Amino acid sequence: MAVRKRGSRGGDDITKHAKEICEKMLADLEKARRPVLEATKCSLDNSNYNPKVGFFTPGGKMVRTELNVSSVQKMSRAVFMLEILLRNIKSGAVNTKRELYYISKGEVKHNPKLKALDFQEQNESDSTIDFITDMLEAYREEMNCFANDRGGQTYSQQLVVTETMSDGSKAVIDLSQLGTSPFQPKNRPQSLKLKAKKPIKFALIVESEGTANTLVTNGFTRRNPCILIGAQGVPSNAVRGWCQLIQNQLKIPMYFFGDLDAYTLQNIFRTLKAGSAASLIRNSDFSAPNVRFLGVLPEDITKYDLHDYAVKEADASEQRSLKKAKDALENDPFFRDKKNKQLANVLKWLLKSKRRCEQQSLWMVDSKDPTMPEKIILEKIKSGSYV
Amino acid sequence: MAKNSITTSSTAEYFAKNLQQVGFSSPTKAVLTTLKESVDNSLDACESAKILPELKIEIQKIGRGTAKNSDLVSVKVQDNGPGIDPDDLAKVFGEYLASSKFGRGQCSRGQQGIGISAATTWAQLTNATGVEVVSKTKKMRKAIKARIDVDIKKNRGLIKKKETIDWAPEHGTAISFKMDGRVQLNGDGGLITYLEGTTLVNPHVSIKYKLLDNDWVDVERVSKDVPLVPPPVNPHPHTMKLGEFMTHAHIFGKVNLRKWLKTGFSRVSDAAIQSFVKAGLNKGLLNKMLSTLSEEDFKKVYRSIQDSELMSPSTKSVLTVGEESLAKSIRRIGEVDFFSVVTRRPRICDHKPVVIEVALARFLDRGSEESAVQILRFANRVPLQFDKAACAVTKAVESVNWRSYGLAQSKTSVPQGPYIFAVSVVSPFIKFKNASKETIDASDELVEEIRRALMQAGQKLGRHIRAEARAEDLERKIRHVEQFGPMLVEGLVRILNAPAARRKKAEEGLVKILGRDTNTAEEKMKDAEVKLKKLKARQVAKGLIEEEEASGEVDDDTEIETALKPAKAKSKAAKKAKSSSPKKKKAKVKTKTKTKKKPVKSSSKKKAQKKKVAKKKTKARGKK
Repeated sequence: MAVRKRGSRGGDDITKHAKEICEKMLADLEKARRPVLEATKCSLDNSNYNPKVGFFTPGGKMVRTELNVSSVQKMSRAVFMLEILLRNIKSGAVNTKRELYYISKGEVKHNPKLKALDFQEQNESDSTIDFITDMLEAYREEMNCFANDRGGQTYSQQLVVTETMSDGSKAVIDLSQLGTSPFQPKNRPQSLKLKAKKPIKFALIVESEGTANTLVTNGFTRRNPCILIGAQGVPSNAVRGWCQLIQNQLKIPMYFFGDLDAYTLQNIFRTLKAGSAASLIRNSDFSAPNVRFLGVLPEDITKYDLHDYAVKEADASEQRSLKKAKDALENDPFFRDKKNKQLANVLKWLLKSKRRCEQQSLWMVDSKDPTMPEKIILEKIKSGSYV
Repeated sequence: MAKNSITTSSTAEYFAKNLQQVGFSSPTKAVLTTLKESVDNSLDACESAKILPELKIEIQKIGRGTAKNSDLVSVKVQDNGPGIDPDDLAKVFGEYLASSKFGRGQCSRGQQGIGISAATTWAQLTNATGVEVVSKTKKMRKAIKARIDVDIKKNRGLIKKKETIDWAPEHGTAISFKMDGRVQLNGDGGLITYLEGTTLVNPHVSIKYKLLDNDWVDVERVSKDVPLVPPPVNPHPHTMKLGEFMTHAHIFGKVNLRKWLKTGFSRVSDAAIQSFVKAGLNKGLLNKMLSTLSEEDFKKVYRSIQDSELMSPSTKSVLTVGEESLAKSIRRIGEVDFFSVVTRRPRICDHKPVVIEVALARFLDRGSEESAVQILRFANRVPLQFDKAACAVTKAVESVNWRSYGLAQSKTSVPQGPYIFAVSVVSPFIKFKNASKETIDASDELVEEIRRALMQAGQKLGRHIRAEARAEDLERKIRHVEQFGPMLVEGLVRILNAPAARRKKAEEGLVKILGRDTNTAEEKMKDAEVKLKKLKARQVAKGLIEEEEASGEVDDDTEIETALKPAKAKSKAAKKAKSSSPKKKKAKVKTKTKTKKKPVKSSSKKKAQKKKVAKKKTKARGKK
């Protein structure tokens, strides 16, 4: 059985761990014993939430794959892909999942004996990679498999980022010097060091990339010593890791501003704050438990007379979100925890009222004043109107 | 208000104006319906005269039709039936509702006497000539040839150009229509589909046919038994409505109620009459004369009868093709891979006795895995080819979960695969949705009865499919072992940079592990095969299939064993390699003791295989 290790590790550790597993498999085969591969079960029923830790941690459930005629293909493919990934770690080459799919195809092309291992679709090679990372309890980035850096465009007049390059040299980025361009965090933000050249009061993560841009263009970051980040929907690993870095290194209050609906609350905000069940082994490095939900809150609708509207009965995705919200209140340890009671109350309000309100509705409060949303956000922070 | 005089019109006039109601709604359907009516009449006539039918059918395009987009089509049908009495010729072909079978409670194909007269009308309306008939009975030395038209105003047949001619056949009838029409050969409404269907449910018929420019097709009979059309039996009281019940009493007149019940109905005995009394029938009424009973009395009698349990209607009134004949007949349609047939016992559905017969067959030379199965529907052995969606048969097929028998099926729809599902509904009183008799009314009771028959046949079919699936599963597993096993070991060896000796040892270990799995799969498959063989043995006992065919699985066995060979050969090779390896002596001894039995098993299999192959060769020689 694989030794369970957690936390960020270097390539050598992973290679060593992988070889230990392979060694055990080969030894089992030599003794005509069925090799068994074990991976952490990444699902909600194996998720623990401790408010003191602040993010989902894995429980004790494991997924066991024992060698038999049905699993021999899966295991062979896992070993085949593992060999490619270990080669990448050794050489320092990085790839996306799509590229790895084509690399595997190239291997088959040059060695026809491997034809049976050929992945017909990318989702087959993707699930093999996921199985390997779950088995090794490693982040895909640790195995040099990177995703497209989506979201996380960051603006600040005070923040300075120092990046350690692969050759050991350092690059210093002063965000105030980037003009209208944002800083884009990488999938492995752990290699970044943050410094505030002047005190920073808070960080604001805005759900919509466009709304974040508008706030910056209208002078939000010029007038306020802060960090403003566009999340671009469900936060990617890069955004989640970046927010944790800000939380840990700068220790400033962090707020999330987004739509008032079930999807935003449970898919976007909860993933940012506590991680997800699918990424149980990564949550420790890819969640920011201190982020607070600034709004839009149900009370904002009446307070600022915002336009809200009923959830469309015919919209399958919205109905799905509401159903999921109901399930979350019953089964999700995050929403069931006392610490997050206020968030659970917002979810309950959404289920009961079946209404939603968008972040952009702040622009209707005074349609002639483009800085009104900024004023409301600052007022909410000041008055503690967040959960 | 204008004065409108009320006029009456003849039956012929009505049908002449509404030919679409009796199957003449388009030129294509006109040709099919004409053929169908002619064949029905021939087969009915042959059966009633206990003659094995031989039909000769020829359909040709002979010119341009009078209507737009139609051809002048000639439809010729000749039979070896008893022939028609010259005095009846005009009635049979030229008069509507002139029938020898109407309301007799027999399972004959034709019932009302509409079809063939409608065909004559269509020919007359589109080509100005009715039907040309040649007929000869056993008593006649010469045959009569005549043209018969329909006198539409008076609903009677008009004989024209009557002559006596020399005609070689001892007896029989030949009819020839020339009419507007279009010829469709394949598809649901195609002539070939009709002829195949007719062939299937009439194993005793020989048909020789030529359609358009195609060659003559000769379909030989597979049964020499003329189906005995059951004589009409007394009605069953549960099959009657109150009105019918009272009308039935009028025929008997001066008898008392007890006698009427006992002699005028089937399944009414003294014991049954006692149960009527228990159900509320006044004993005093039993000895009263029928003529003295009031309407109220009849109602009481009727109610008490309906409230009592009675034996099912006589099965004698229902005709079946039979599982054996169906099994033989289905092979006349194409190359059958496997099939299952079911003849249900007669049941009462909607107060009528009915028998359902089902034949499900998978063909090697027709249909595909993706296309929907072909449903052949029959009512009293007549193929139904149109309006299938609303038909009781289609509804029953859709209601069965075919996935549980191993067939592909989207939810509540017709399953898919190269199958023919033939469902025959036989009853003296089939309820059709329309006069053209294309759709059987889908009453809940009838649909349920057909559904049960289909499920019964489906279970048998499922055994074949499951055995196949097991074989496929075994093959897939063996393939997996062969393909992925060495790659798994190879990959691990490469990652660990392990020596060749470790690879060899791991490969041997892998063969052992996976060999155990394939053995389990093999056992499961054999289990499925044993079940299938039992089913086949039952079929042989019933005479549904030949013994030779039942032992056809031998070939599959051989194939499976051959497929197993590589995996086993590998394990043997691994053992050989082990024994020749000087290093790991201890391991060698261990493995040998563990796998002691294996070589014995495989050699006995080889022997069995050799025997089977030898048997096969002997058979082949015998055939030569």
